[in-house]
Formats: sequence, C-alpha cells, structure tokens
Amino acid sequence: MQHSTPKDIGAINFGLMEPEEYREMSATKIITADTYDDDGFPIDMGLMDPRLGVIDPGLECKTCGQHSGSCNGHFGHIELAAPVIHVGFTKLIRRLLRGTCRECSKLLLTEDERDEFRADIEESRKLSRDLNDVTKAAIRQARKKDRCPHCGEIQYDIDHEKPTTYYEVQQVLTSEYSQRIAAAMQGGEDGERMAPDELAEETEIDLTRINEILSGSFRPRESQRKSIEKALDIDLTEEDTNKLMPSDIRDWFEAIPDEDIEVLGINPERSRPEWMILTVLPVPPVTARPSITLDNGQRSEDDLTHKLVDIIRINQRFMENREAGAPQLIIEDLWELLQYHVTTFMDNEISGTPPARHRSGRPLKTLSQRLKGKEGRFRGSLSGKRVNFSDRTVISPDPTLSLNEVGVPDRVAKEMTQTMNVTERNLEEARRFVSNGPEGHPGANYVRRPDGRRLKVTEKNCEQLAEKVEAGWEVNRHLIDGDIIIFNRQPSLHRMSIMAHEVVVMPYKTFRLNTVVCPPYNADFDGDEMNMHALQNEEARAEARVLMRVQEQMLSPRFGENIIGAIQDHISGTYLLTHDNPRFNETQALDLLRATRIDELPEPSGIDDEGKPFWTGYDVFSELLPNDLNLEFTGTIGEDVIIEDGQLLEGTIAEDEVGEFGGEIVDTITKVYGNTRARIFVNEISTLAMRAIMHFGFSIGIDDETIPGEAQARIDETIDDANDRVEELIEAYERGELESLPGRTLDETLEMKIMQTLSRARDNAGNIADEHFEDDNPAVVMANSGARGSMLNLTQMAGAVGQQAVRGERINRGYEDRTLSHYEPNDLSAEAHGFVENSYTSGLTPREFFFHAMGGREGLVDTAVRTSKSGYLQRRLINALSELETQYDGTVRDTSDTIVQFEFGEDGTSPVLVSSGDDNDIDVDSIADRVLESEFDSEEAREAFVTRKPAPTNLSEHADSRVVDSTEVTSDD
Amino acid sequence: MVDVSQHELVPEHTVLEDDVLEGVLSEYDIDRTDLPKIKRTDAALPDDAEAGDVVKIVRNSRTTDQAIIYRLVVE
Ligand SMILES: [Mg+2]
Ligand SMILES: [Zn+2]
Ligand SMILES: [Zn+2]
Repeated sequence: MQHSTPKDIGAINFGLMEPEEYREMSATKIITADTYDDDGFPIDMGLMDPRLGVIDPGLECKTCGQHSGSCNGHFGHIELAAPVIHVGFTKLIRRLLRGTCRECSKLLLTEDERDEFRADIEESRKLSRDLNDVTKAAIRQARKKDRCPHCGEIQYDIDHEKPTTYYEVQQVLTSEYSQRIAAAMQGGEDGERMAPDELAEETEIDLTRINEILSGSFRPRESQRKSIEKALDIDLTEEDTNKLMPSDIRDWFEAIPDEDIEVLGINPERSRPEWMILTVLPVPPVTARPSITLDNGQRSEDDLTHKLVDIIRINQRFMENREAGAPQLIIEDLWELLQYHVTTFMDNEISGTPPARHRSGRPLKTLSQRLKGKEGRFRGSLSGKRVNFSDRTVISPDPTLSLNEVGVPDRVAKEMTQTMNVTERNLEEARRFVSNGPEGHPGANYVRRPDGRRLKVTEKNCEQLAEKVEAGWEVNRHLIDGDIIIFNRQPSLHRMSIMAHEVVVMPYKTFRLNTVVCPPYNADFDGDEMNMHALQNEEARAEARVLMRVQEQMLSPRFGENIIGAIQDHISGTYLLTHDNPRFNETQALDLLRATRIDELPEPSGIDDEGKPFWTGYDVFSELLPNDLNLEFTGTIGEDVIIEDGQLLEGTIAEDEVGEFGGEIVDTITKVYGNTRARIFVNEISTLAMRAIMHFGFSIGIDDETIPGEAQARIDETIDDANDRVEELIEAYERGELESLPGRTLDETLEMKIMQTLSRARDNAGNIADEHFEDDNPAVVMANSGARGSMLNLTQMAGAVGQQAVRGERINRGYEDRTLSHYEPNDLSAEAHGFVENSYTSGLTPREFFFHAMGGREGLVDTAVRTSKSGYLQRRLINALSELETQYDGTVRDTSDTIVQFEFGEDGTSPVLVSSGDDNDIDVDSIADRVLESEFDSEEAREAFVTRKPAPTNLSEHADSRVVDSTEVTSDD
Repeated sequence: MVDVSQHELVPEHTVLEDDVLEGVLSEYDIDRTDLPKIKRTDAALPDDAEAGDVVKIVRNSRTTDQAIIYRLVVE
C-alpha cells in the first residue's frame, strides 16, 4: 500500500475562479456530447475522455499515468457559446447592478461616501462583525442616486426575475400621450376644461408646439413632459423594461474599478465580478460521476453526465444557429435554454424553475443536491460517518454487574477486536488467542506480521499460525472481560449519555447493564437499544478509563450532585430495611449482606427474648458506610437522618438519602471519599436493597387500592355534595346572583368556582381513601420513600380520578354548546364537562373514559411537541457553542481567539468539583478540617502545623550577636 | 430619570487607563478587538466612556467573590 505524506493546511481562500484558470486546470476541452463509441471505448474530447481520470481498475490515467484509486481524476472544460449567469451569485449580481453606474460602471457613491464605507468595512472586519451589514448599507445608499455622481448618467431600477433574468426598468413617454393630454384637457367628470392656449401659458410651451403635441406629430421632451404633467396633474409615462443579457452584464461588470469592489467587501485580486458570468464551464472528472454497468451489460450514466450532455448539445446548436445567421428570437431562446441547463446543472431545486428530470421522471441529482441536507456530503458523509468497531443491540438489566460494567454478548465479543502488540511477555497469551481461532472465545480474527502482511485467522490455520506468532507481531484478539469500551444511548443530550464500561462477556444477544446507570442514559428496558464502540488504541483506552468510566461520571455537571444512585425497588428496599429498624437473625443478616464485601457480621445489636443475637436494619445498613462518615440532615420522610462515625443512628434511608438525583449519602461519599468508594457504595446499596426487598417480599395487587364499602360510601357522599354545590353555583349564576371576582367576568368566575369545588371534592375523596391505607401498603411505601408514584396516583386509583382538563380548563370542546350529544346544550354541570367521579379501581363510565382520553391526549401531544422543539434548540446551541474552548490560561475563546469568558464560567471552577448551591456556600472550614485530619497522624503534629511559626533563618556568622525576631523571617544579603 | 448604574444589581463599570489596558492586552496576548464588546449606549457605562475605550467590569460572584471582565466599547 502506498502512503501519501500528510499535508498541513496553511490557509483556505474563498473567491471566484477566473475563466482562464478553468482552462489551465482542464485536462481537455470537451466538444462532443457522446460518451462511448460502438466498441465501448470512450470518445476523445467526449464526456468520458480518458484524460479526465480512470474508473476501471487496471487502466492507466492518460493525464497522470496513475491507476484508479491513486488518480483523483482531472477536470475538463466546455467553452460556452455565450456567457451565462452562475445561479449561486444571482443576489450579488443584482446588488452590483443596482449599486453601479450603467454607463461608467463606477459605484454610485461620492468619493467621501465610498471612503466612509471602506472604513466601516475595515472596522467590521476587525470586530469580526457581519460585513453584509455594511455592504448592504452601501448598496442602499448607492441606489438612492438618480444620476451617476461621476458621469451624470441617469440610473434605472433593476428588476430581478428569478432565478437568472435581469431587467432595466425605465419610465418613458407613453405612446398614447396625445390622447391622454386631450382627455385631461376635456376635464374629468367635474374637472374644468382647459384650452390649448391656457395650457401653453401654464407650461410655457409654444402654442404651435402644444398643437403639434396634441396632434401626435411631436413627442414632448422630458422637461416639456414634466411641465404638462404638472399642469394637468396626469402621468404620461409607462414602464419600459429592457432585458439585460448576460453578455451585457459581463461588459458592465468588467468596467467596475477595483477600488469600488473593495467597498462591497470583495477582494478584487481574487474575485472579479465578471467571473460570476460564466464563459467556460468546468467539467467534473469522471471519478466524480462514474458510470455504472448494469447486469444486462448496458451502461448507466451518472446524473451529472446526463446534465453535461444536455449542456453540450444546446451549446452546439447555439453555435450552429448563430453561424447560420438565425433570427435573434431563436438565438435568445437557445440562450435561455443554455442558461436553464447550466443553472440546473448546479442546482436542480430552484423555486420557479421546473427541475430537470431523468427519462423516468425522477428529478436529477445535480451538484447542489449532492452537498445539501441531511444525506448530503457535509452532514451525511463528512461530519456523520458510519463507524467501524461498533455494535448495536437491545439492552436488558443485570443487577449482579457492577455499575462500571456492561454485559457484552459473546457473539459481539468475537466480532469486535482489540489490537495486541506481541512482546516476549505476552507471547504465550497471544499464541493462546490465536490458537483458539475466530470461533472460540477468547480467540483472534487477524494477525499482522512485522512486515505488514495481514493474515486472517481461520479454524483451519489457527493452530499453525499460533506457533508462528512471535514478538513484534500484532494480534487482533476478541474482547475479553475487563476490556474498556464506550457505551452510548441516543439521544446523547448530556455527557453522561456516552460513558466507558468494562466488558463482561456473556451469553445471549443483549447488552446487559446495572439498573443504577439507567438515569444518566435515560434508559429503560422496553426495547431500548444502545451502541458500543470498541477502542482501538492505547491512548483512547487510557482516556476512556480515566475520564469516561461510569464511576467518574457519578456527579452531574448540571447540578453538581450525584446522578447515579439507588432507584425504584432499591429505594423501597432500603426503606423497608430501615423504616421500622427491623431485627434479623444471623442467617438473615448474612443473607442481606451476601453480595457485598462484608463477610463478617459486626457485634450483634442485641439479644432477643429467646436468647439469640439479632442485628437491626440500621446496623446492617451501616456496614456499607465508610467508618468515619458523619452526616445529619432532614430526610425523605421529613425526619432527621443522623449518621455518626459510619453508624446510622436515626432516620429512614430512602430517595433523598441514597437516590439518583442528589441522594445526600451517595453525594457526600462521592465528594469526600472519592468516586471509587462511591461506586462501591452504590453497588453494595443496590444489592443490599434487593436482598432486603426479597426478604420482606414486596408486591402490589388490586386489593391494595380497594377501600372498604363504608369509605366508598363516604366518598360518594362528598362527590354528591360537590355536585350539589356546583348545581347551586349554576343556579345562582342563572338567577344573576353570582358576584364576579375582581378582574374576572361572570362566566370565568363561575368556571373558577366550579373548578375549585370539584378539586376540593377530589382531594376530600383522596383523603378519605388515604385514611384507609396502612403504612405498610406497598403503594404507600413506594410513594413515601420516593421509589415510584405519588399519593395522587394512589388516590386516583382508590378515591376519584377528578376533573379532566384540556388547556387548563374544564373540557369545553366537541359539539355546539355541549361536549357530547348526550347532554343538553349549555349544561354546565360537573358531569357534562369532564369530571370523573369514579376511581381507576371502580372503573370509568364510557363518557368519563372519553373525557379522560381527551385530557390524556393533550399530555401526549405536549411531550411530542416539546421533544422536537428542544431537540432543535439543542442543535442550534451546540452549533453555536461547538468552537468554544477553554485555553490553558483559563480563558474561554472561540477559534478566532476572541475572548468569550475571562475565566471559565467566570469563576474558573467546575460544577462537578465544587459543591455549592443556593442554600449552601462552600463549606471551607469543614474541608480544611478534613484535610488537616487526614494529613496528620497525631494531634501534636497537627497542632504544630496549624500554629507553626516560621523558624528564624540565619545564615550570618554574627547571628548570635543579633536579636532575631522569631515571628519574622529575616534574611541576610 | 433612574440612574441604573447606581442599582445594586448593576456591577461597577470603569474605563481603563491606557497603561493598565496595555497590561491586560499583553496578559491575554490579544488585540483590543478580541475583547467582548459593549454598546456605547449601554446604560451601565460611565458617561465618559467612548467607542474604542475598554471598560473593566467587576461582578460579585458567589464562588470567587469577584469576577473581572473587560469589554471594548463599540458604537
Ligand atoms: Mg424505552
Ligand atoms: Zn490521473
Ligand atoms: Zn457613471
């Protein structure tokens, strides 16, 4: 394989290309639209000319002599019979036409104005502002001029008919001038008549002239026209449009002086405006438009080639017609056709222009279509490439894995490889991999000899190959346990969406992950799929391990607290374990801790009545805490949680203690004891919790949401009450006795009062249901501990579902004056506007169900709209911020070195490494205490450090004779 | 008229002396046009600030007590 030397890009210039440059870089002129001759050989100076590059392997390029693969192809060119406009520059062409003189081509600005705009451009450039603002202002200023300030020529308006036609619009004397003047002199319906001599007097034109004008034998001059117009208050002009041919525009632009172009932000050395009018068309190399040979042996040409064929055909016809002296009309038609083909060659999706189509009717994909959009060259091929060494499959949970690990299916592990550099020290290992072959795990798929030859390891050759492997070889071995890979779930909205995991090779087909990493990925197991990327060099692996491993992402940069922690059943588990501080015998206690590092129980918490030792839930839980942890805070259920010296003394362990978003204990352990300790703690707490929940048993059924008949009767009563009260309100409203609330209409007041009444009724029903739930009701446990669900969910299941709303109001839509045809028109009752009296357990009536579906649908639509909106917002934000970078001096700058922040975040701190919130500033004292504590073994050493006095430095021989102040460092010179 | 620069939430804006400015620019190794900008019409600016001046803004910060920002005054 041939290696090309990497090149450094020094600078990129954007500008226009000169026609001469097109010719210079061209390998050949293209003159014939034919591609291949009857024998299948490319025709010379045809569109497939061999000098344009090679596609067929084995053939040599006629221009550079290289083979396909090494030769990138070479441009050719077509000499256009007449100039045509480049569609990409129509706006700029229009601007130049409007801003420059039609006669002398100079910018329609006085010298002073021009210099001012030039200075503005300089200024804008320095401040890296949008130059367009200045150039637009310059053109606006120039357009105001009726006459050229340089040569005095009258300037006309330029009309632009999209995409590529320009007209000059002039106001000229209408051909009906005599009729119009005569009509005006007759006077309108009530206008006065004016005699010719009166007109002559008023306009100061000779009477004989006036008569000549009236008879149509003399065309009034401009000044005469204006005075007649003024005298008679009429308009004697009509619009005359004069089409500007591309050749006219080219001539016009050629005469624009260089100094004037600069004012418009164009560098005249690189881009002359006349180059926007094409006289030569470059022909892309064949490698950019390869032809395909179909199964039946027929050649199928690329869309670009088709387009080029069209251009050449019209070009030839144009030339023939012109030489034959065809009438101007025909020439102009052909010119327009040539313009159309060149236009669609570059962009085939221009509004107002019918797209060029293939014979089958499919629009052709031309240059612009290759680049644009999501599938285009930029977004599809360059920034978003398909990637090797990656896998995607469904995920499923595995609570036995560490949160740092990921279960990788063996079939994936056998496909993904890691490059192993064989040395004397791992030679044995490497040979073992190779001898296992590609089918056995852990095996190898390829080896590379020191001479660079790559050999495939097969079932047949693996044994032999293994013996040949020596130090210096490379072995592409399978993934094995402990390898580090990158794991990702879309949408990747924050940095924790991509984390590094350690591989655990497993049977079956899914990726397995510990449930505690679900929150950062926002993953669940209802069919979610995730991607894995195997890392291919040591640097990447080291970075991934140090920076990206799950445990390093424990704290979220969004809120500076832990994002990983116990979830759902883990929280129910710790709640059951600690809420009533239950007792366990030795077997039970050991069972709870079996999946942790604890293999010996602490001293029993006490001896029970039967004389057997027992351990409390607090003590079991405390085994997982660091021995010197001290914490005191208000916990999930509103009671204080107190931990002293790693011993839980008081409180219930639930969501706010060990949960995912800012669980106090997890957060503290991460910040004080480090990520590794936190990882161990979360792993152990989740296994302990699972053991605990299995010990107690935790299930939920229909009976847990059913309330006794007596309670149901009371709920029915409150609902009836509420209905009565609503009835009263409606009656009061109808009698006109309802008083409106301040700032509300009567109707609004009624609605508000009804809503209030009904929501109170729902709450009351909930409270009644609530009274009948025991504290050990599983739904109550989940709600109280914060594991899942809320009391509202529970009361909706047992009490009443309550008012359904669309857009924050009772349901008001449907039929005219009513929600459903089941109700009387203008029925204001609770029932008719979506109040659901039933609970989910008792079941909804059909009408209630319908209203409930209306309310539910709003929620679904809302989330759908929100995600698409926030996705687009995120894309824009990312694009805007992507080039910002924190520099080594702490500043944040963009790529042009403009400072955005003088210190990252204006304080130079990482939200992950600094713990402070609105309610707690940085606790400097306790941090200092902790550092001192860990730094000094004995109290004396610590004391000595804290109260250390600088020892007197004394280098002088005469020190003894000097008085040295012990608190000050003295120095000798 | 309310003088917003006296409001407690408006940080202090002062025009930099030329010699101090030189020091700032060389510290960050930038031209003054690389600084963030502020409109001359901004109500928080001192009255004598003119386009081309650089102002120093001292903000209170919860984490670092004071955050110092420099801005170039533009039209
Ligand atoms: Mg899902
Ligand atoms: Zn070549
Ligand atoms: Zn002129």
